[in-house]
Amino acid sequence: MSAAPILEVRDLTKRFQGLISINRVSFAIEEGEILALIGPNGAGKTTLVNLISGTLAANEGEIRFQGAHIGGLPPFRRARLGIARTFQVMKPFPSLTALDNVAVGALFGLQGGARTRAAAREQARQLLAFTGLAARAEQDAVALGGPDRKRLELAKALALRPKLLLLDEVMAGLNAVEIEEVVEVIKQIRDSGVTILIIEHVMKAVRQLADRVLVLHHGELIAQGSTDSVFKDPKVVEAYLGKRRA
Amino acid sequence: MRLVVVILLVVAAGLLAAVPLLGDAVLVQYGINALLVATLAQSWNIIGGFAGYPSFGNSVFFGLGIYGTAIAMTQFGLPFGVGLCLGAALAVLCALLFGLPVLRLRGHYFAIATLGLSFAVAAVISNLEIAGANIGLILPLIRADGMFYELALGLLVACVLCVYAISRSRFGMGLIAIREDEDAAASMGVNTTLYKTAALMIAAFFTSIAGGIHAYWITFIDPASSFDPTLNVRMVIMAMFGGPGTVLGPVFGALVLSAIYEMLASWISTAAALLFGLVIVIAVIFMPRGLADLAVGLRRHGPGYLLQNIRRHRI
Amino acid sequence: MLLAQIIVNGILLGGLYGLMALGMALVWGVLNIVNLAHGAFVMLGGYAVYFLFTGAGIDPFLALPIAMAIMFAFGYLLQLIVLNQIIRSAQLNTLLITFGLDVVLTYLAQLLFSADFRTISPSYAGANITVLGITIPLARLAAFGIAWLLAAILWFILNRLAFGRSIRATAQNLIAARLYGVNPRQLYAVTFGIGAALAGAAGGLYGIVSHLSPYVGAPLTAKAFVIAVIGGLDNPLSVILAGLVIGIAESLAALYFGPTYANVISFGLLVAILVLRPARSLRAA
Repeated sequence: MSAAPILEVRDLTKRFQGLISINRVSFAIEEGEILALIGPNGAGKTTLVNLISGTLAANEGEIRFQGAHIGGLPPFRRARLGIARTFQVMKPFPSLTALDNVAVGALFGLQGGARTRAAAREQARQLLAFTGLAARAEQDAVALGGPDRKRLELAKALALRPKLLLLDEVMAGLNAVEIEEVVEVIKQIRDSGVTILIIEHVMKAVRQLADRVLVLHHGELIAQGSTDSVFKDPKVVEAYLGKRRA
Repeated sequence: MRLVVVILLVVAAGLLAAVPLLGDAVLVQYGINALLVATLAQSWNIIGGFAGYPSFGNSVFFGLGIYGTAIAMTQFGLPFGVGLCLGAALAVLCALLFGLPVLRLRGHYFAIATLGLSFAVAAVISNLEIAGANIGLILPLIRADGMFYELALGLLVACVLCVYAISRSRFGMGLIAIREDEDAAASMGVNTTLYKTAALMIAAFFTSIAGGIHAYWITFIDPASSFDPTLNVRMVIMAMFGGPGTVLGPVFGALVLSAIYEMLASWISTAAALLFGLVIVIAVIFMPRGLADLAVGLRRHGPGYLLQNIRRHRI
Repeated sequence: MLLAQIIVNGILLGGLYGLMALGMALVWGVLNIVNLAHGAFVMLGGYAVYFLFTGAGIDPFLALPIAMAIMFAFGYLLQLIVLNQIIRSAQLNTLLITFGLDVVLTYLAQLLFSADFRTISPSYAGANITVLGITIPLARLAAFGIAWLLAAILWFILNRLAFGRSIRATAQNLIAARLYGVNPRQLYAVTFGIGAALAGAAGGLYGIVSHLSPYVGAPLTAKAFVIAVIGGLDNPLSVILAGLVIGIAESLAALYFGPTYANVISFGLLVAILVLRPARSLRAA
């Protein structure tokens, strides 16, 4: 695959009141791959996703999406270019139905999205069916339980018809069966041509899905490569488990 | 169901339009006030109810509508229609200029900033010579309460139709998404800055036209009553009482509360305001989501709905 | 010299403004309630001192603690019985209900006390001292001192007493505070009571240095808003300082631009600070 990477991040840095949260992180995502982003809690994984989606602005460094600089663009422009994300702390629109929650994405998504609410709701129905929420379409989002909320987050992100999908811990709190289902769904999404960056703690899912893995620790990229090489990397082991007593 | 509602509304509008024919001058005057304030509540609904940005400064648009019309007619001898346009232009421009910085704030802070802005703009205008400074202006006198009544009704109908159109449109969906979760809305492609500002400008437009009609009707205008700050809270309460984010809620809220206030005033005059305040307190406790929600809630859960709200919102 | 006098006037008045804002800032910071009836509480406290003075002959400054106790009880009950029922609903609702309360209290005051202006004028009310050619009315100086004293006491309570720690903990994280045994109903009621007591003290002082009527509340609420935002909701002492800033700004504005612009300056400052302030210091809506 000699095409340019769909996303290139170079020397990205983010500071919060003097504390460095992301420290000169550089990597690239190839089109069509699934890249897993792992690291201990507090490593800055969600911050990194926030920087890519535009929710936060970087202090230094550059981000290129499909070759073009997107650093100065507000989140809604990046969404319309084709970058979609899920939120780790789920953010449904509380008083809207599940259907309308997804319809918003269809209305405002890729290059402005569907033109009418009716068309958007149609697309939304299909996406709810795809993520297994067809039965809940008319329920208020606030009434949905945990796993259903995750599915809704996913459907909302897909409604943008994204080229790059940023998944932030979609498996958290799911049981083994539900994890298998989500893994399947993610594979189907990838097969439909979407590039995926997935933040995950569930290593089983990472092994099954990831083409490559990035490891973030204290805001720095300490390892990247295939799942096997990364999991064996002593720096990574140390980051998760702490220094071995000599 | 929908067709029945539409027919009922058309009939209601027709009945309202026929009020001046009854020949009761006091009723017509009360009607003009009630209709204008209903427009204010409905306009507020666009920015406060749909977009979720509770402005406490819309009175400034009312005042700009008043002064725009008054200045055009008294200082430049222009006709009423042109005056209305000038007032609207001033208000919409104000909404754009001040909206952009202030709409970056949320919740309480936005409310206070708009309140502050309305005070500041009011103070500036009340010192301008062309606006008659503190004395105010006197518009050409015209005795045509019936005409003003129909104008006010027409404006309210136009405003309601606009809100209806918004509620069915992509724009409206975007506003609701902003209200429900602005960050998520932005991540889903909603141009939040554009939409919020547009909502404020539309609200400013209708509010200012109401001001212009009020100015010509009332003839004597001065800064204190034109930029009356309590107007802000009144329109918010009426919208909230009726049901923010619904199409007809604020109109009902405004008409019902106006009626309650009038009845209290004619019944117990001195204590009217006192009882009105009590009505507000009780309403916020038992029906915080307004009449619209009350109607639905009572139908679904019966009187238990009232206690439900307390149980849900108490500490 | 006129400038110096104006500035001193502004400082003295500003201290009192700061005291007025103190109660609002406390309630806002801990309960997330913006109390639109705060000015009415100030007004009621003022009337309490007035009647204690004219009716029972108690010196106004000695009547202050009594008025504060009355207002504390009033605020405590109000929070416990009324405001606690709606406190978890939308922010806007607390604005609306306090507006309703403001209307009720203002008109009750009008019914009970009539609309006449009243001043609390103890015999020493007119006394001045003159320092470096600047006239300082003793009553205003005393008000200024009391403002700082009460702010310092509040600071002490919040930062050095266990009870104050509970208040601050609840302000930051209600759920966690409950896990540590805080009874939120009581705590909220007490906090609101303290806010009302502070407002009452400000009212009593206001009645001495200015005048009272049922309608003095609304502009004072507005001013308290501005000062609470500028001073921040965390530190009582910075609220008083913010009051000084507003007091001086108003006096200067009145001198150079005329009295009507005094309000514009306050609100202009408010809006400018809100808009230009870095996002991190704004509480999430």
